[in-house]
Amino acid sequence: MFLRKVEITYVSPCLADPQKIRLKAELSDDITEVMPYLNATVKAAIYNHEAPNLTLSKEFRLITLYPRELTMIKALNTTDAWQVIDWLQELINDTYARRSEIAPDYRRKRRPHPLQLYSWLPRLNCKKCGEQHCLAFAALLFSGQQELKNCEPLFSHNYREQREVLLELAKALR
Amino acid sequence: MLTAKAKEAFNAFNAGFKEKGKLLYQGKYSSHAVRFRAMPAQREGKEKVAIYLDNAATTYPKPEAVYKAIDHYLRHIGASAGRGAYRRALEADGLVFKTRKLLGRLFNIADVSNIIFTSNVTESLNLALKGFLREGDHVVTSHLEHNSMWRPLKVLEKERNIRITVLPSPEGKALDPEQLERTILPGTRLVALTHASNVTGTLMPLKEVGEICRRYHVPLLVDTAQTAGVFPLDIKELKIDLLAFTGHKGLLGPTGTGGLYIAPGLEIKPWKEGGTGGASLLEHQPEDLPDRFEAGTLNVAGIVGLGAAVEFILEKGVGQIREHEKALTAYALEQLCQVPGLTLYGPLNAEERVGVFSINLEDIAPEELAYVLDEAYGIMVRAGLHCAPQAHRCIGTVQRGTVRISPGYFNTKEEIEALSVALKEIISH
Ligand SMILES: Cc1ncc(COP(=O)(O)O)c(C=O)c1O
Ligand code: SF4
Repeated sequence: MFLRKVEITYVSPCLADPQKIRLKAELSDDITEVMPYLNATVKAAIYNHEAPNLTLSKEFRLITLYPRELTMIKALNTTDAWQVIDWLQELINDTYARRSEIAPDYRRKRRPHPLQLYSWLPRLNCKKCGEQHCLAFAALLFSGQQELKNCEPLFSHNYREQREVLLELAKALR
Repeated sequence: MLTAKAKEAFNAFNAGFKEKGKLLYQGKYSSHAVRFRAMPAQREGKEKVAIYLDNAATTYPKPEAVYKAIDHYLRHIGASAGRGAYRRALEADGLVFKTRKLLGRLFNIADVSNIIFTSNVTESLNLALKGFLREGDHVVTSHLEHNSMWRPLKVLEKERNIRITVLPSPEGKALDPEQLERTILPGTRLVALTHASNVTGTLMPLKEVGEICRRYHVPLLVDTAQTAGVFPLDIKELKIDLLAFTGHKGLLGPTGTGGLYIAPGLEIKPWKEGGTGGASLLEHQPEDLPDRFEAGTLNVAGIVGLGAAVEFILEKGVGQIREHEKALTAYALEQLCQVPGLTLYGPLNAEERVGVFSINLEDIAPEELAYVLDEAYGIMVRAGLHCAPQAHRCIGTVQRGTVRISPGYFNTKEEIEALSVALKEIISH
């Protein structure tokens, strides 16, 4: 088995949504090697080959993979988190096993889809950016008519992880 | 002629009655109690080995891995699951998840968030019935139910005016699916059944029942106390919406463990609120499963033990365990039928039953027979009504009760043979 074990090491409530949790987990093995293959196969993954890290989502949950660690935000509870981790572990091991059939993709980023941008926004529909709702903001961000810095809530402490991902995504829009 | 040992046992037995100020045996059974006729003299001085045949109450022994897992958890981990952001607590949380996942594999449940832990199947059935049924609902059940199904239903009949249709089981026969289909009405909200009777061992035709329930869009609640871990149970194939299980019987785990699978979309009202580890800021119980139903510190030691037990079952394979049970059942049926004066209740075919046998021997009181089997032979069986008076009505033993013999995974043919030899000795001495 390529990745043998994933162990949750830290859990706390999601800052943006106290009903949900955020967590960190340690990986028993270095997964750097599999990242370009995941980048090539996982829809809407965001890959940074230099760092390296890879961000992806499972429904509403947002996950970032590092060589020996992962973070997840917006999991429902620990049972939910363990289930997603199981899914990830299987995805990683499966991708690794099939790597000879996959053309690795080392591209730093691909142009993200507006809905992908939307999924990382605070989704408060608070209109502080001057738009009617976050979806409109995401569409305008995509077309270059809006700037990330205009979403004020995103720059509060509560959305630190989401902000980092969006800043990374925004680079690919230019 | 009573042996010295039997006399001593008898005196102790009788002293107990006097203390309570009443005689347990009345009518025709009382004379046997006084004479203790079932105690065979030739057992005097003979070696007795312990043979545990009360696995329907709780299984014994447990797989070695169960003892080890509980010991390891209590000794080396010890933390409460999901409480606190330190490694040990998260490790404990991971162990609880592991058990959930193993149960998911056993019952073919993909999203294991839908499995919630309880302290036993009684709690699971109470939660399912009281959390799901509303004023005036109609429920279909059977006469073979354990009190853990029957009593909550009777309470709801009083408190919420639910209407109960009880499918008959004459002589402990399985329910008739056609009859079930006829009793389902537009207002029927639930079919609630045991998978197998803990009195007669009768298996219910769950597959047919599931299909009928699906056809009429009525959720199916199954009490798997006597089948989980012994009989292949696949919620998708059997179309089960609420699966209640207990950890300490066929699942081979410790007492104080159990659970309920709740199909997505079924609205069950939780009956307790409290701490869940996460989401502490909320004033309400979290909406998401399993936390919605798991207020209070979990029985982590028990759950860890249950996990080791389910792992053992999955390794052996439930199919193979059922084959072992069937072989033992067929052998027991054959042996018991050869004992003169023995009445065996329930199906005579291993295919139609689990390894739970209710018997009576001539007119010997069940309690006396169980007592003698234990005292003289070291064979442990249970006597009485086994918490299911309705089932005893079906087989005509509600006054007298039965002796219940229930082998488990670790019993052997030799032990069944020892039982049959003992019974023959008792009846012929
Ligand atoms: C069919 C059946 N249902 C329910 C129960 C109750 O089990 P527990 O005491 O573990 O809740 C039993 C066991 O006694 C049983 O055999
Ligand atoms: S400011 Fe941010 S959160 Fe508020 S509506 Fe605009 S995009 Fe949404």
